[in-house]
Amino acid sequence: MSLQGVEAERSAAGLSGATASAGWVFRFVLLGLGAAALALPFAYAISTVLKPAAEALSVPIHWLPSRFLWANFLLPFQQTNYGRYFFNSFLVGVSVVILNLITCPLAGYSFCKLRYPGRDLLFLVVLATLMIPLEVIYVPLYDLVFKLGWTNTYWGLIIPAGTSAFGIFLMRQTTMAIPDELLDAARMDGASEWRIYIRIVLPLLRPALAVLAIFIFMNNWDSLLWPLLVAGKDNYWTLPVGLAAMQNNNEVNFSLLMAAALEASVPTLVVYFLLQRYFVAGIALAAGLQG
Amino acid sequence: MMPSRRSPVEREGRAGRGLSAPWSPLRLRGHQERALVGVLMALPALAFFAAFAIYPILRVFYLSLFEYNLTSPERWIGLGNFAYLFADPTFKAAVVNTAVYVVGTYLPTIVLALLIAIGLNHRSHVAGVLRTIYFVPVAMTWVVVTIMWHLIYNRFGLLDQLLHLHTNWLTDGTWAPLALIIMSVWKEVGFFVIIFLAGLQSIRHDIYEAAAVDGAGPLRIQLHVTLPLLRPVLAVATIFAVIRGMQAFTPQYVLTDGGPGDATQVINLLVYKTAFVYAEMGRASAIAVLMFGALLVMTLLQLRIFRARSA
Repeated sequence: MSLQGVEAERSAAGLSGATASAGWVFRFVLLGLGAAALALPFAYAISTVLKPAAEALSVPIHWLPSRFLWANFLLPFQQTNYGRYFFNSFLVGVSVVILNLITCPLAGYSFCKLRYPGRDLLFLVVLATLMIPLEVIYVPLYDLVFKLGWTNTYWGLIIPAGTSAFGIFLMRQTTMAIPDELLDAARMDGASEWRIYIRIVLPLLRPALAVLAIFIFMNNWDSLLWPLLVAGKDNYWTLPVGLAAMQNNNEVNFSLLMAAALEASVPTLVVYFLLQRYFVAGIALAAGLQG
Repeated sequence: MMPSRRSPVEREGRAGRGLSAPWSPLRLRGHQERALVGVLMALPALAFFAAFAIYPILRVFYLSLFEYNLTSPERWIGLGNFAYLFADPTFKAAVVNTAVYVVGTYLPTIVLALLIAIGLNHRSHVAGVLRTIYFVPVAMTWVVVTIMWHLIYNRFGLLDQLLHLHTNWLTDGTWAPLALIIMSVWKEVGFFVIIFLAGLQSIRHDIYEAAAVDGAGPLRIQLHVTLPLLRPVLAVATIFAVIRGMQAFTPQYVLTDGGPGDATQVINLLVYKTAFVYAEMGRASAIAVLMFGALLVMTLLQLRIFRARSA
C-alpha cells in the first residue's frame, strides 16, 4: 500500500498518527477472524468430500483425511442423475436470461423514450408488480401452469420467469441517460424506430444488460420452490431440487452430498469471481430501487 | 450518422417511409409510428406480466374465498378459509416462528453487516481480499448452504465438536429455530455488507475530515456522522430484511422441514404444505393473501418510520 493511500485512509477514518495504525491493526484482526469463521464451513465441506465415509463424523474431527479420495468429487455424477440436474439448471437459467434480455430493454426503452397514451399508467402497473413476490402468487400460478399442461416441461420452468419488473425498471433508468438528440439525429437520417433501437440503444445499454443477466442467472440458480412444484419428474429437476432430494435420501453418503453441494456452487462462484463488479452492482441497484 | 438540416416535413416523410416498417403497409407520420412501435415494444413484457403476475395476484384473492383442490370445481365458502386459519394452532405457530426468524436472523445480520462494512470501507489489498471472502456466501445458493450446515449441525458434526454442547440441534424444538438463525446470519451477512458498502462509498470524505478537525474521536464520528448519513440505506436494508425473511422457504424446507413438530414451521412453508401436501389450494391462497397484506403493511410502515425520523 502506498504512503498516499495510508494518508488518505487515515483522514477518511478521522484518525491520526499512532492511534490510526493501532486501530487499523485491531480492525483487520477482527475482520480477519470473522472471515475465518465464515470460511470454516467450506473447509469442513471440502475435508468431508475427501475423507473415507467412516471418518465423516469421527470424534475428534479428522481435518486431514487419512487418505485423500479425490475421486469422491465424481460420486454425484456416478450415483445420481446429477449431470442432468446441472444441464437443466443451465438450460433453464440461460433461457430465462435470454427472454429477459429481449423483453426488459424493449419495454424499458418504450416506457422511457416513446410516447403513447396510457404509457405511464402501464409503467406504474409494472412497478406495482415489484411488490408481488412469487411466494404470494405461486398457488394460482401453479394452477395456471398445470392447466396449460406445462408441468414436467421446460416451458413451465422457463416461461413464467420471462420478464422482470426489476429488469424493466433498470433498463428504463439506463435509457434515460441516452440523449434524445442522438435518437432524433438518427431519425433525421432516415433510420426506422427498430433500427435505432438495435443499432444505437442496445449497444449503449450493454453494461446494464450484463448486470441484469448476472442478477437473473444467479437468482434462477438459487430457485428451489418453483422447480420443486413444476418438475415432478427427476428428468426435469434443477440442481436445487436434486440437491434437496439427495439431502433427504438416507442412503446417500456425506462425501457425495458435500461434493454435490460444492460443485453446484462452481458456476455462480466463477461468475462471482470473474464479474464481481457487475454482481455487486446488481445488488446495489436492487437496493436503490427499493428506497 | 451526422445530423443534417431538413425541414420537419421532409423528416416525417422519411421516417414514415421507413427502411423497415414491414409490419405496416400504412404510411405513418413520425410520432404515430413512434407510438405504434412503443406499444409493440412494451407488448411482450406486458403479456408476460398479465399472464404470470397480474392474473395470479387477482386469482389468489379470488381463490382465498373458495375450497379448491386443483381437479374438482371451486366451491364458495366465503371467509371460511380465514376463519379456519385464525383458529388453527399451526397457522399461529407459523406466524410466530416467522416473526422470530425474521427478527432473530436479520437484526444481528444488519448490525454485524454494518460493523463489517464500516471496517471494510478502506482502499487496500487486505480489505479487498476480506471483502471477497465476506461476499462468497452471497454467491452460493440457499440449498447448498443448508446442506453444508445440515452436516455441521449433526450430532457429531463440526459445531458440536467445537463447542461440546452435545445438543441435538435439528431434532430439539428449542434449538432448531436457533440453528436456522445461525445458518441464515452466516449466509446473509455478505448481502447486507454489499448494500452498506455502496451506501458508505457515497459519503464524501471531507465530512469526516471536518468532524476530525472539530476533535471528534473515531467512535463519535461513526455514531454521529456515519449513522445519520446511512439512514436511507438502513431503511432499504430493513425493508429487504423483512421481505427476504418473510419469504424464507428453502432453509426451513431443507434443514428441518418445519419440525420438530411445528417448531420451525414458517408461513411460506405452510402455504406450500397446505397447497401441495394437503391439496387445500383455497386455504393456501388465504394464507398467501394474509402474507401479502403483512408484506405491504410492513413495507409502508418502515418507509414511514424512516421518513419521519429523517424529516
